Amino acid sequence: MSISKKRKNKTMPNKINRILEIPQEVSSNIPKVTVIGFEKMLIENYKAILEYQDFYIRLSTNIGILNINGFELNLEEMTTDDLLVTGKIDSIDFESIEDNH
Amino acid sequence: MYFKILMAYFLGYVTIEVEGYSIEKFMNLCNSEKIFLWNLKRLKTTIMKVNVSIKDFKRLKTIAKKTKCRIKICNKKGLPFFFNRYKKRKIFIILFLIVIIGIWALSNFIWNIEIIGTDKIAKEEIQQLLDENNFKPGKCKIGLSTKEIINQIRLQRDDIAWVGIEISGTNAIVKIVEADLKPDIIPEEEYCNIVATKEAMITKVSALNGTPVVKEGDIVKKGSILIGGWLEGKYTGMRYVHANGEVQAKVWYSDKVKIPLKQTKKELTGNEENKYSVKINNFQINLSKKVSKFKNYDTIEETKKLRLFSDFYLPIEIQKTTYKEYENQEVSYSLDEAKQIGINQITQKLDEQIENKDSIKDKKIQENHTDEYVEVEVIYEVLENIATKEKIVF
Repeated sequence: MSISKKRKNKTMPNKINRILEIPQEVSSNIPKVTVIGFEKMLIENYKAILEYQDFYIRLSTNIGILNINGFELNLEEMTTDDLLVTGKIDSIDFESIEDNH
Repeated sequence: MYFKILMAYFLGYVTIEVEGYSIEKFMNLCNSEKIFLWNLKRLKTTIMKVNVSIKDFKRLKTIAKKTKCRIKICNKKGLPFFFNRYKKRKIFIILFLIVIIGIWALSNFIWNIEIIGTDKIAKEEIQQLLDENNFKPGKCKIGLSTKEIINQIRLQRDDIAWVGIEISGTNAIVKIVEADLKPDIIPEEEYCNIVATKEAMITKVSALNGTPVVKEGDIVKKGSILIGGWLEGKYTGMRYVHANGEVQAKVWYSDKVKIPLKQTKKELTGNEENKYSVKINNFQINLSKKVSKFKNYDTIEETKKLRLFSDFYLPIEIQKTTYKEYENQEVSYSLDEAKQIGINQITQKLDEQIENKDSIKDKKIQENHTDEYVEVEVIYEVLENIATKEKIVF
């Protein structure tokens, strides 16, 4: 019973958002990752920086962890919810929280 | 985001090096404190280069203490630091301000007056009028009422129909529209005579109203009555009328010149010398010696007003003096040549006086020569209407 109630509560705003066509990243805390070319990357709605190195960036988000591999990675701009990464990006991979649990 | 960086430039920002083992923690704390960081670069595993605005930099210190990082300032950029650099050079700033204030102060005066639209009236007369009304180069623009000056000029001169003073920059343009002088028209009800305008010999008198006084062949002087403004009737006696009519007469135009047979003539050799001098109001600074190296020379002076932009005139003039060398050459003419030169000179002069070239009836040339010179006299006989009306004053 309690599980179904929770689900109902979760799904209700989702339906409204779908009707109003509100973008998902605005209505929820899901991160939005935009890759521009091979050398620029914009991450919105991130939580914290776990690790920052020249060749490796590890970010935590609400739904998991985001890893960026590359060379000469710089953080051009850093605000509370935006992060602009420049440099030669090799690969991006995600670690879902639900997988760990 | 770019706006934030731009603002940071105006308010000043510093490039710092953060050294420590927990740089990520430092960054996350900055994020939670809402400190804007940009251009983050990881130089080594323990060192990071970051840009922070001045305002946020003070707050960074507590964060650095918490995370046990060391902060070192590498570079200071932005306008506050730029101005700070010039704090020590006080004289430079003072002079800079003086120059700006000077230019601003100079731009509040009128340094050049241009007069446009004059045709018959000499520009000097207008300049004099403006001078009398205290409107001359060096006049302050503030509190200047052009309306008053315009009114004054219009009151003083009848032959100016409209005056406009336009001030653009330090340049004042005085625009003038000349009025045509009204001919004295005598109304029909008033009595008038017809009089001669020139000394002439009458050839034809046609009176429409009034009594003709002169006959054909009479020689009249200027101002003498041609057609009287009265009529005499057998029964009515004498009564005054408004005379009207046309009087044609022969008018003579003549002029005399003496042409010497031996003349010295100027012949330009083509050698020129330019000399410059700077003129401030009436104070002149010669940039080179004023005396020319030539023996015989003409001097031509040209003054140019200095201006900064298109119409910001400065009270400084540059005077260019050109010396043109010439040689005196003795020329001797033959009789005929001298005569021809004289005739040419006179005809040119007379042609300017005579308006209607078709009415020239006759040309006469008289000459009189000695060993040294030829005297030429040219007489033109012209048919003209010499009648004008003149009011009868009782």
